[in-house]
Amino acid sequence: MELNFVGVAAALATFFGVWMGHVTVRKVERNAIHLWIPIGFFLALGLAFVSLSLTTSSLILSAVSGILAVTFLWDALEFVRQQNRIKHGHAPANPNNPRHAKILAEHPEATTFGWLDRDPRGSKYSAEELAAMKAGAK
Amino acid sequence: MNWFGLSLGFATLFIIGLGFVWVIRGERYFGYLWWLYVMGAGIAVIVATLFISNNWTSALLGAFGASLVWGSTELKEQAVRGELGWYPFREKKILPPFADVIKKWKAPSL
Repeated sequence: MELNFVGVAAALATFFGVWMGHVTVRKVERNAIHLWIPIGFFLALGLAFVSLSLTTSSLILSAVSGILAVTFLWDALEFVRQQNRIKHGHAPANPNNPRHAKILAEHPEATTFGWLDRDPRGSKYSAEELAAMKAGAK
Repeated sequence: MNWFGLSLGFATLFIIGLGFVWVIRGERYFGYLWWLYVMGAGIAVIVATLFISNNWTSALLGAFGASLVWGSTELKEQAVRGELGWYPFREKKILPPFADVIKKWKAPSL
């Protein structure tokens, strides 16, 4: 029986596309002063992979580049969504980035505190505990 | 023009979108300790695609298997989000087999 590698190729493109996007968007959004630069870069990268996916005659290359294309285009959108997480305090702001410093000044929920840097404990945090955690981090 | 890859890309986006739903719901009712089983199921699905000769079926299942593996690494962080009150929280979870053993392992978070 002949093995079909298109599924494994799609799986690798999906997993590593999502992983790289997850890490890159957070890191770049944290440090970029002007967000339109990485947004433009990822839009261009996505379109380049769209073009590769449409023109190649290889089924596996088309699959991998098609999945990566859509992932990169989504990453461009995620830069905006990540900035909104910073505004809501759901992701930690970088006070050394002027764009984040402005967000910290204008959005009371924004914080440099990383709420998610902990293990699950099995019970819900009370409002008092949450306030104490945020105060202790400052 | 070869539309296979781009159509597959949009289908994958939808499969990943479903991941948000099952990670949030699954963690709420079952807890993050299921991560090991979810990861195992994802790897099993990906290996199974090798034996499927239909390209669309193989590719879609491959993307689905990858989203199971990715989702398994998101469960721990989702558990914290629930405890912080960002999502509805349920203290009573339907625990997986060998939960006390899995609890001693470090749950992946990428």
